[in-house]
Amino acid sequence: MASEARKALFEPLFSNNPIALQILGICSALAVTTQLSVALIMCLALTSVLAFSNLSISLIRNHVPSSIRIIVQMTIIASLVIVVDQILKAYAFDVSKKLAVFVGLIITNCIVMGRAEAFAMKNGPWLSFLDGIGNGLGYSVILIIVGAVRELFGSGSLLGYQLLAPVSEGGWYLPNGLMLLSPSAFIIIGLTIWVIRSTYPEQVEEADFELQNAHNAPAHGGAR
Amino acid sequence: MKIHGRQGGFLNLPNDNIVKTIAVALLLCLVCSVIVSGAATLLKPKQVANKLLDKKANILTVSGIDLDGRSVEDAFQQIETRVINLQTGEYTDAVDAQSYDQRKASKDPAMTLPLSKQDNIAQIAGLPKFANVYLVKEAEQIQKIILPIEGYGLWGTLYGFLALEGDAETVSSITFYEHKETPGLGGEVENQKWQASWDGKQLYDDQGQPALGLVKGSVDPRAPNSQYKIDGLAGATLTSNGVTNMVQFWVGDKAFGPFLKRVRNGDVQAQREKIDEVHTAESV
Amino acid sequence: MSFLRRTLDRIEPHVSEGGKYPKLYALYEAVDTIFYSPADVNSGRNHVRDGIDLKRVMIYVWLAAMPCVIIGCYNVGLQANSVMAATGIAEVGGWRGDILAFFGIGNDPASFFDNFWLGFWYWFPIYATVFIAGAFWEILFASVRGHEINEGFFVTSILLSLIVPATLPLWQAALGISFGIVIGKEVFGGTGKNFLNPALTGRAFLYFAYPAQISGDAVWVAVDGYTGATALSLAASGGVQALTDAGFTIQQSLTGAIAGSIGETSLIAIGIGAAFLLFTKIASWRIMFGVVVGVVVMSLLFNAIGSDTNPMFGLTPQWHLVIGGLAFGIVYMATDPVSAAMTDLGRFWYGVLIGVMTVLIRVVNPAFPEGIMLAILFANIFAPLIDWFVVQANMKRRAKRYAIS
Repeated sequence: MASEARKALFEPLFSNNPIALQILGICSALAVTTQLSVALIMCLALTSVLAFSNLSISLIRNHVPSSIRIIVQMTIIASLVIVVDQILKAYAFDVSKKLAVFVGLIITNCIVMGRAEAFAMKNGPWLSFLDGIGNGLGYSVILIIVGAVRELFGSGSLLGYQLLAPVSEGGWYLPNGLMLLSPSAFIIIGLTIWVIRSTYPEQVEEADFELQNAHNAPAHGGAR
Repeated sequence: MKIHGRQGGFLNLPNDNIVKTIAVALLLCLVCSVIVSGAATLLKPKQVANKLLDKKANILTVSGIDLDGRSVEDAFQQIETRVINLQTGEYTDAVDAQSYDQRKASKDPAMTLPLSKQDNIAQIAGLPKFANVYLVKEAEQIQKIILPIEGYGLWGTLYGFLALEGDAETVSSITFYEHKETPGLGGEVENQKWQASWDGKQLYDDQGQPALGLVKGSVDPRAPNSQYKIDGLAGATLTSNGVTNMVQFWVGDKAFGPFLKRVRNGDVQAQREKIDEVHTAESV
Repeated sequence: MSFLRRTLDRIEPHVSEGGKYPKLYALYEAVDTIFYSPADVNSGRNHVRDGIDLKRVMIYVWLAAMPCVIIGCYNVGLQANSVMAATGIAEVGGWRGDILAFFGIGNDPASFFDNFWLGFWYWFPIYATVFIAGAFWEILFASVRGHEINEGFFVTSILLSLIVPATLPLWQAALGISFGIVIGKEVFGGTGKNFLNPALTGRAFLYFAYPAQISGDAVWVAVDGYTGATALSLAASGGVQALTDAGFTIQQSLTGAIAGSIGETSLIAIGIGAAFLLFTKIASWRIMFGVVVGVVVMSLLFNAIGSDTNPMFGLTPQWHLVIGGLAFGIVYMATDPVSAAMTDLGRFWYGVLIGVMTVLIRVVNPAFPEGIMLAILFANIFAPLIDWFVVQANMKRRAKRYAIS
């Protein structure tokens, strides 16, 4: 695989993650991650929309008048989203019931528009397609982490399999109700960003201002 | 979205040309609308079937019928779907029982009955004229009656089914398939242990008034009147009140009360036979 | 030099940079500065006008919480013993019963001594747990980051132990303090950089994670299986009428003989703490005053509006002020100097915001009977904004005074 293609596919996973670094597409990450299975379907839906919107937009990029550029992108994305939504309703009804409006809201997911405008309008179809898949996977990585943590601690199960027996059914695990509420996803995403930035220190933003050290450094310290 | 270079001249127009702009916009809209409407029409039958199947699965759960490896459709054969007129409590064929959507009807002014604020203890959006009931029968005897119920809890409306024994006054089970209550508190309406505690409770007191309700704390089974009491949901007073109101409303005079009374008096059986004579061809 | 000094000096080379255990320097430094004043004291002219430092501030707050601890323990025991006497349970079960029996302590609700020790054995395990868990995180972060260990967790842990019900499971207490210290404080850089009150952050975590253990009816009185409503839940169901019918009086709130979180019930104990904090100028009177103003204005407003369906609308200001955790929140939580507003005028408005939000949540929100915790956390977030407005207003005023356009 050409290095460019590899970059388009793998860079968004960790080193340029759409959620963790670009802080895009947070809203759906909060809403659909109480159960891992639902999160996985959402990842699949978003990745396919992203890949195909990038592909279609890249195909016609040379003929899109710049005055209606955004509308053209929106129309394509919206059509793809509706198609995906219809397919889910027909073939994965249970999950689509839980995803409710959030599949439809992929239209407003900043990642899709962002990649269309930033990448697909400037690059060839194959590369754009890979970029779509790569960013979709980057989104998926975070959603899977959040979904796994929330389902495990919020319901004691993973993908519906009961791992920690809950108290209400005679077990020992008391489910953590916070994990079932949306704010917990914020906390988990924050902690994930913490881990990613500890691994890739170049992602850490520069401090707005330097705190002055009131005390001396430990090496010099010591009390008398 | 592929536009091949056959029309050459058109594609070579500058992108900001007004003709090209309009043409691209039209073409795009055409292609997209074909794709979207195509997907919607092709998948529609499957989606409708899914929705129905989901409802049937919920009803089967509350009826206590074991699937035994059968499909939901097969198992649902045991259940008879009926529509009743809430005011008279009689079966009606004003609407088709299979396709009647009670939740939709309760939002349609033409399909609802007037309901005063005092009577609307469950705080429902509207009281439909006709309501679904689902019956489990054995040898023409009603074994179970399943009633769709809904009512306001803390954060929103809870939707569920209440299953009664054939005597139309003993509860068999309850289930909620849609609600917005707080996880861990009001959300415990989903708790199967709690749902199981409804089994065998009595709906009406000696005067025939709806008496069943949730109490604060837990119920001592030896205490008098414990057959009318169900453990409250810890820390969820408003959800508990909501569930009480909802059950009392739907088994009360304004809703299924007349129908259930007719079942107890044995009138329903007679009417059913009459209707069956009229619709001999129609299998239910 | 004393033995202690010599020992500390001997340890120092090992934990300094280049020594064997540089990660432990933070721990060494913390112990050292408890006994001796720091080496790097100011020499030249500077802006510090009194000799108090962070460590003393923290210790003072800790001391100020002591009256609440004592009365809180007494009240937990009183509530439990009264219920046991009423329901005919003769003795406390489990290990607490063994300890009390060993020391020959009875279960007489009229005896201060009996009540205190029963309550103590409920409070102390919670406190020990949150203290150890809090210290663990504080030392861990200080070591890894090369910071000094801050005594903030002293305050956080004692305050958290006082704002939870006596029946709180210990593992939840540990989880709560861990969340409060790590997410509420350390992720933002440690003491002084947190914008939320860590103790309240920890409690909020428990409140949403395990609501049945911290807001249910069965948690307020430490007797198994007993369900007791708090004054607030009574008020929510029937207003002032329900409170007086159930035998609640304002006097009871003063002494603290009502069911509630361990340290929040007694106005007298909280008052002693408040006086101490105000006298030592650790707490801001402007914040306390602001909250009271906010509560009074807002509850009078609700009284005036009135409601047929919600009895909380009719709850008068004096009841609002004495029930629930409001008083404890005003004195110990809202006045936290780090997460509160920094300007004098800002502090007043910050207090008002807390008061208004508390009454708003109590009265209007059906899910949360108590609003002070959420109100303070809410105001914490707005504190920098309030300060910004105060500073801007001041700049504008001065620009006008000196006619700078």
